[in-house]
Formats: sequence, structure tokens, C-alpha cells
Amino acid sequence: MAATHIAGQRRQELIAGYSFIAPALVILIVFLFIPMFFTLWMSFRDWGGITPPSFSRPVGLEWYQKLLFQDNIRRSEFFLAFKNTLYYAVGVVPTQTVLALMLAVVANSAILRFKGFFRTTFYFPSITSSVAIGLIFLWIYQTGGILNQTIKIFFPGYKPISWMNDPSGLIHNTLGLFGITIRTAPTWLTETNVLGLTLWQWISGPSVTMSALMMLVVWTTAGTMMLVFLAALQDIPRPLYEAASVDGASWWQQFWNITVPMLRPTIFFVVTLGLIGTFQVFDQMYVMTSGGPAGTTTSLAYLIYRAGFNDSQMGMASAISVLLFIIIFVMTIIQRRLLGDRAQS
Amino acid sequence: MNKQILIVLATLLVVSIVIVGCGGAAAPTSAPPTTAPQPTTAPQATTAPEPTTAPQATTAPQPTQAPAGEAAKLQLLGWSASDVENETLKQVVADWNASQKDFVASFDASPNYDQSLQTALAGGQPPDVFYIDSLKFPDFIKNDVLAVPPAGAIANPDDFYPSLREAFTANGTFYCPPKDFSTLALIYNKKMLDDAGVKVPTNWDELAAASKKLTDSGKGVYGMSLSADAARWVAFLYQAGGEVIGKDGKMNINTPEAKQALDFYTGMLVDGSAVTPDKVDSGWNGEAFGKEKVAMVVEGNWIVPFLKKDYPNVDFGIAELPAGPKGKATMAFTVCYGVPKNGANIAGSWKLVDALTNEAGMKKWTDLGLAMPTRKSLRDGWIAEFPDLKVFLDGADYSHPWQFAPGFTAVTDAINKGIQEIAAGQATSESVLKTVQSAGEDVLGK
Repeated sequence: MAATHIAGQRRQELIAGYSFIAPALVILIVFLFIPMFFTLWMSFRDWGGITPPSFSRPVGLEWYQKLLFQDNIRRSEFFLAFKNTLYYAVGVVPTQTVLALMLAVVANSAILRFKGFFRTTFYFPSITSSVAIGLIFLWIYQTGGILNQTIKIFFPGYKPISWMNDPSGLIHNTLGLFGITIRTAPTWLTETNVLGLTLWQWISGPSVTMSALMMLVVWTTAGTMMLVFLAALQDIPRPLYEAASVDGASWWQQFWNITVPMLRPTIFFVVTLGLIGTFQVFDQMYVMTSGGPAGTTTSLAYLIYRAGFNDSQMGMASAISVLLFIIIFVMTIIQRRLLGDRAQS
Repeated sequence: MNKQILIVLATLLVVSIVIVGCGGAAAPTSAPPTTAPQPTTAPQATTAPEPTTAPQATTAPQPTQAPAGEAAKLQLLGWSASDVENETLKQVVADWNASQKDFVASFDASPNYDQSLQTALAGGQPPDVFYIDSLKFPDFIKNDVLAVPPAGAIANPDDFYPSLREAFTANGTFYCPPKDFSTLALIYNKKMLDDAGVKVPTNWDELAAASKKLTDSGKGVYGMSLSADAARWVAFLYQAGGEVIGKDGKMNINTPEAKQALDFYTGMLVDGSAVTPDKVDSGWNGEAFGKEKVAMVVEGNWIVPFLKKDYPNVDFGIAELPAGPKGKATMAFTVCYGVPKNGANIAGSWKLVDALTNEAGMKKWTDLGLAMPTRKSLRDGWIAEFPDLKVFLDGADYSHPWQFAPGFTAVTDAINKGIQEIAAGQATSESVLKTVQSAGEDVLGK
């Protein structure tokens, strides 16, 4: 009798629990799981996107074959976007993590006055609409804009850079200083084709325009990451620092041997979020550059949008989405191996 | 207790089912009182082309009258152009609404046209009439989404310029009447040309020489503004005697003629006698021209109302594009009013299209000077009204339509990208043409 009563109560609790999560579950299923499986299914079909989905026809693995194995324009586009996104992530993730950590340490330090003011200021870009920021920066980055004019005050001989329309890569430009250009580079570099791009194209580095976008993104996201670090910093027990200073450790030693190791799980979290965010970057490209100049700011997410809505190739867009998912998944696993194991301990 | 929770759960379930169900069915606005012939999408997949259009075609004359004498709603979807244009078209549509009482049409200008249209079509609730750009027309044909106009739906079809009619003809069917069209011409700043003692160029050599002479990079003034845009460069390609797709239907752009055109176009950007608009802090050629940072641009007739409104003090002239080694050529850009074959009110849609494109309707629209009439019969009257725009209209005689094959945006993107790369010293014309050629082969080969 008692046993069945408890079982009945458990069932009631179960029902109550499920009914409480039901709204969230329904929303998840409708707006996340169904679209996810729909995308996966669509990546095996040819669908123009301008007829109902049932009009699409199955093509098997054709899109994946085109994007990954056959030498054609789609593969070049895909790997160009992959290259752009990779350079973008490599540039943005470490910079924003280090910057956020620095800002957090500064905002957390005991000697700083007006802490609240600085915290708010650093965090402000993160709560502003990325479209509004994009438009403002578009104006700052103009050839005759504020940025160039400011630089000109300090360096009168400076030749204005058209920030929003310079497709030349940073590594290419550096090589150019040593007289290595596309015309003088060895042919094995300019002729060898790897995955739809020449080796010369692979080593371009982010374009000047992409670098401008990267600076802007670092500026906007560092504030959010700072907040995460700030919370973690306040969790580090004070006695650790006191003991260290009794032992005669300098500020730098304390930072390096106490703060950083204690923050390891947070760093892992921030880097993971940053990596996922950078691989999905879309707004800045959409608002500021439309993927140009010369396709050097076309990110994978923007390529998906172009393929789906400009080229009317929803099937291919879906296939790229699936590939992007796999890329992010693999990246996170690799990064977990590098950083995460130690973060657990 | 148990019962109460069950009731809560059941309510939640019902609510969620309703939410999910609604999401699928009641998407856009206009659900006309006519019997919409598509209950779900599935049956259409099996019985693909005919059933919706065929009965409509035969029963076209008697409009699907709403039961309570209420007018049926029609949605006309377009992209948002300038404010003037949007407001003007709304006015034309309002006039039509006032002239009859079976239908009430509304014009929606979407800032994200491709997405709006695509989702509406894919969702099975298309707008009743929508814009189709000539470049995208082949994609719509390939996907078989357009209704075949019933006999007589397009008034006097032979009156349209043949090149524009052909742009919207596929498999022998003239699918949708062109709304209006634009061509490219050379816009020049009269004062700047006079000051430099330069005559209006009529061929490539004169254009290059004039552009050099007009450039004063110290003052930040340049001869021309040339955007890295396939839609401009292709005109130069045709002037050089080149082609994009050969007569055999194969991609044929990796030719000496194309190289000549590409070298000429990018050569001016490289030697500094021409700039891309952003170099002079402008969003497009028209703005660079209005700011008097450049003396000449290659643009369409849409630039005229823009200059008159935003830069009324700039005195400009309009001339034919300078002839290339193989003579004159320009591009014609045109848009038609398409009717989807699974539209809810196809008969009404055709009535609206007719009202907008028959002689009287088109005259009303084009007489505002924003766009040019696609009907030959309106030509003389329009020129009498806008004599200074005659050059644009005359372009119809030697223009090439801005249209290639389904999926061709991938190729035009490759051209845009290539021009930017050459201008930045990142690529050579040979490598760009090779890339564009193989991009075209991919697209056509599929």
C-alpha cells in the first residue's frame, strides 16, 4: 500500500515535471530539431527553394561530392569561405580572450576607482545591436573617414587605406615587403592547387577588410567575455593571494601561477564560445561587406545564405550547413583535447 | 490532484498542437475568399504542372467573385526601389483599385526581396503577382513555378520590344510582360569636361584619353568611377565582340576579345584614371558622380531622378556608351510581372498584370520618367516627354539582355570578384577568365 502510494507520487511528480518543461520542449522541437533534421534531409536533395520542398528531387551525396571532392567553382567557393573563416577565428579568438582577461583583471583590481563606470563601458558594445555598430564602423572605416584622418594626423605621409575594399591579404602584403608577389612567387606556390585554391591563395592571411571586421568584432565581444572572467575572478579565494604574497611572489607571479590556473575552466568556456561564435559569423559580413571585396570576407555562414537565397540552391546551402556543423564539432573536440582535460581537474 | 495535472498537461498539449498547426497553415496575410486550390503541398507534388492553371485558363473571363460582394485581395510583391518609385507604383495600383470593384490589390516593397519571395513560394502561399528580374527568370522556369498566361491575358504582346519579350520567353511561351526597362549610357559632367577641354568620348581610345586628362589625383578627382560589377563590364565585353555563352550553348568567355575587354576595364582602375566608388567615399557610381569626384560614369536611367533630387546643381549630359573595337553595345535590364502557377487567384492576378502593362497602364507608370516603356507604341510619346533621356531608349536597339542561364549568379559573382582582384593586383586577367570560364561550365553543365 505504502509502496504504491510512493510510486503514485513519483508519477505525479514526473507528470508535473514534464508539463513544466513542455513549452520549452515544444519550442525546441519545432524551431530546432525539426529544422535540423530537415536541413540534413535537404542536403541530400536538389531544391531550388522557390518551390515547395516536396518538389525537390533526391541527389544522394552529390552536393558533398561537389563541395569536397570535385574540382569546380562550388568547391573553390566553399574552401575560400573556409579559409576566410579559419583566419578570422585564428585572429579573433585569442585576441578577444586575452583582451577580455586583461580588461577583467583591470576592472577587478583593488586600486581602480570608478569600477562600475569601466565595467559598464567595456560591456556596452556587447549589448548594442550588431547592425547599428556595423553601420557606424562602416562610416569610421570610409577612405576619408575618421580612422584614416586620425592616422593621418600622426603620420602625415600616410596613404589612406580603403578599409572596406582592400582584398589584399596580410601575409601577402608582408611577403610583398620582401619582394614576393604573385608574379615573383615560385610556381609551385602559385600553380599547385589544393582543394580548389592555389597554395598562394591559402597562405594569403586575412584580407585588410577582414582584419577591419576582426578588430570590430574583438571590440564588441571582449566585453561579454570580460563579464565571464570577472565572475570567475571573484571566485578565486583571497587567501591564495595572501599566502603567495607572504611567500614573496610578485604580482606577475601571482597572476601566472594563481589567477591563470584557477581560471582554466573559464578560459576553456570562453575559447569554446568564441570558436563557435567566430565560425558562425554572419551579421558583420551581411551588413558591412556583402562578402566582398573579392570574396575575402565571405564566411561559411554568409556563403550558406548566398547559396540559399541568391543562387537558389537550398540543397547545397543545407550541405554546407551540415559541413559547418561538422567543422565546429571537430574544432571543439580538438580544443577540448588541448585545453579541456586539464580544465576538468 | 492527479486529475488537475492531467488537465494542465492536456491543455498544454492542445495549445502546442494548435501553435504548431497554425505555423504551417496560416502563414501570410491574404487568404482570399476564393477556393484556394492548394490544401497542402503533398498532393501537388504528385500532380505537378497542369491542374491549377488549366481550369483557370478556360474559366478566365468570369472572375472568381467573392460571395458577399466583397473584393478579393491581391498582393503585388516587389523590391523596394527609391521612395519615389515605391510611392508612384502604389499610386498606380490604388488607381486600379478605384477603377473596378472585384479586386483590391496592394503593393508590398520588400527590402529583402529574395528571401521574402523564396519563403512565400516555398511555403505554398505565393504573392499573387511578383517582380522577376531577367537574370533570375531562367531559375523560375527551371523550377517550373510560373503560370502560363491564358490566351489574351497579355494585351498585344507583339508590341513589346522583341529583345525584351524574348528575355521572358521560354520554350516558346511568353510568360510575363516586362514592367519597364533600363539601359546603360555614359553620364558625364558637362562643366568638368569643358574645363579640361575634353570632348565627349565616342570610342574606347577617346574614353581612356579623356579619363586620364580629367584625373587630378592630388585633388582627389578622377576621370571615371567604375564599379567592380559584371553588369557593367559585360557591356564592354560585347563592345569588344566577345560573348558569355556561345551559340552552341557552351560557356565561351575565355577568349581574346574578353581579355581585351577585361584589360581595358581593369586597366583604367590600375593606372588610376578610374576608381571604384568606395575610393571616393561613395556607395555607388551615382553618388561619386553627384559629389563631382568623378567626371564620367556608366549607369542606367535610374541615375537621372537620383541626380535631380539629391544633386540638383550638377549639370550632366547623357551619351551613348563609347563604341568598342567591334562597335556599339549596351546592357538592357528588365523586370517582369510574374504570376505563380499555384497562386490563390490567378484570374485576378492576370487582370492586375494587364492593368499595369497594357498601353494605358504602362503609359501611366512610365510617364513619370523613372523607367522606360517596353512597348514600341509608347516610344514616340515618351521621347517627346523626356527628350534628354532619348539616348537610354535608343539603347534598346543595340542592347543585350542581362540574362544567361539558371544559377548564373555564381558566374557573375566570379566576374565581380575577378575585377576586384585584378584592380588590387591580386590576379591576372588570364587567371580570372579561366576561373570564370570553368565556373560557367560548372553551372551550364549541371
